[in-house]
Amino acid sequence: MTNAAADLVYLDYAATTPVDPRVLETMLRLQGVQGDFGNPSAMHRAGWRSHAHVELAAERLGALLGTSADRLVWTSGATESNNLAIIGAARHRRHRGRHLVTMLTEHKAVTDVFRALQREGFEVSWLRPGPNGVLDLGTLQAAMRADTQLVSIMHVNNETGVWQDIAKIGECCHARGALLHVDAAQSVGKLPLALAELSVDLMSMTAHKLYGPKGIGALYVAKRPDLHLEPLLFGGGQQQRLRPGTLPVPLIAGFGHAAAIAADCMLSDLAQLRTLRDRLWAGISDLPGIRLNGDLAMSYPGLLNVSVADVEGESLLLALEPLCVATGSACNAQNQEPSYVLRALGLSDAAAQGAIRFSIGRPTTRDEIDFAIRQYRHAVQVLRTMSPDVAA
Amino acid sequence: MSRDPYSERVRALFSSPLHAGSMSTPYRVLVDDQGIRIELSATLDGDVIQRLRFRAWGCPHVVAAAEWICTQLEGESAARLQDFAITELMQSLAVPVEKSGRILVVEDAVRALGAAIKESSTIAGQAEQD
Repeated sequence: MTNAAADLVYLDYAATTPVDPRVLETMLRLQGVQGDFGNPSAMHRAGWRSHAHVELAAERLGALLGTSADRLVWTSGATESNNLAIIGAARHRRHRGRHLVTMLTEHKAVTDVFRALQREGFEVSWLRPGPNGVLDLGTLQAAMRADTQLVSIMHVNNETGVWQDIAKIGECCHARGALLHVDAAQSVGKLPLALAELSVDLMSMTAHKLYGPKGIGALYVAKRPDLHLEPLLFGGGQQQRLRPGTLPVPLIAGFGHAAAIAADCMLSDLAQLRTLRDRLWAGISDLPGIRLNGDLAMSYPGLLNVSVADVEGESLLLALEPLCVATGSACNAQNQEPSYVLRALGLSDAAAQGAIRFSIGRPTTRDEIDFAIRQYRHAVQVLRTMSPDVAA
Repeated sequence: MSRDPYSERVRALFSSPLHAGSMSTPYRVLVDDQGIRIELSATLDGDVIQRLRFRAWGCPHVVAAAEWICTQLEGESAARLQDFAITELMQSLAVPVEKSGRILVVEDAVRALGAAIKESSTIAGQAEQD
């Protein structure tokens, strides 16, 4: 797989990835009249053929996660999985208690769900990680109460790449009788996971972060007698009525194939990403005033978040073209709202504003990293020269 | 943002800010508002703006606006600075309406420079009379 757009240098793989050509081929084979296009719920040969693709995909994804295929619910993506897991579990357990716990640095697809539950009368404790982005277990333990029903902690942070110790967090939750939901959108297919060995009850994931198609995700639901979810959608009996709707077989098959490829490539991917990430950091870390946001020792190696003083984020982003990277600002034309994740780590508004997230992927080459180093150094120098604070 | 928010003109001005810099001159102002910082400095030949330079901490529209202003106002009478308005600039650069608040900060800086020049001239005039 090579980088497709010749006029761009894409280093935004945490936002989305291109579909692996092998995955694309699998999906295309299922689309047309010659393919297995039948409704997988139908009681005829075309339906059964289609259903076989869904089963294979679940087996492949289950194998990647270290769990059985029947624990997976197909959704439209991680956002829907987060909604179903958090709202579904909270509402089902509301008669037991209304206290929930999550982190300030979660993705909006989690924080906004908790805010919606607050409006329903749930009480939410928002935990702040340390300056390196890592959650201290003592902070979690102190927040837990007798009526805590659900804890939601992401595995790998989408802005900093910092990963949380979900094994220990899960043990802590279960010791207090609470469920643990993990948003693993940034880690599934990228870091080894063995769900059968973890005290994780619910895990959200999506295909498009691991070279699969957009529009398909999954929710892992552990087999526990006290774990039930209230559905968010109604209208059919598919997926045990938990998530009704006709299954998008080509997307599911694509997700399954991407999961199988990820399982094969994971260790070599990790080694390559670490080499490239370290090269990138080595190439820019001597810039005056540069700051690494996160913790290299506890980070997914495909991601590097840095900020420099005296540089405005949106201008930096444009000056970096044709690099495609993410900025630490919301890039909202009406206000320059800095990243709430970086603010929670203690960065000033100005530092968060100038933050850039480089995210490296399977197709990234050493030449692209070297280009990124040159481009970043040049852009920072030019914008600093232009800043009234520096050149005065 | 789901589409390219920058016009070709903004891109050109942002990538080649020929007037970026600062001069040691009595005609220098710094405006800091709404998270935007703009410094303008000018040299005069009589009443005419000889050279105009800017330094900016802001989004690409702010940088492009500052460059556009310097290009437009060099060689003009300093009196134009005080009643400068951003209407033509907004149209010329196709600045999104949501960003007009930021561009107004640039307008404030231009007017502040005009006021500083006028005040300086008035003081100089008074000194001559005295």
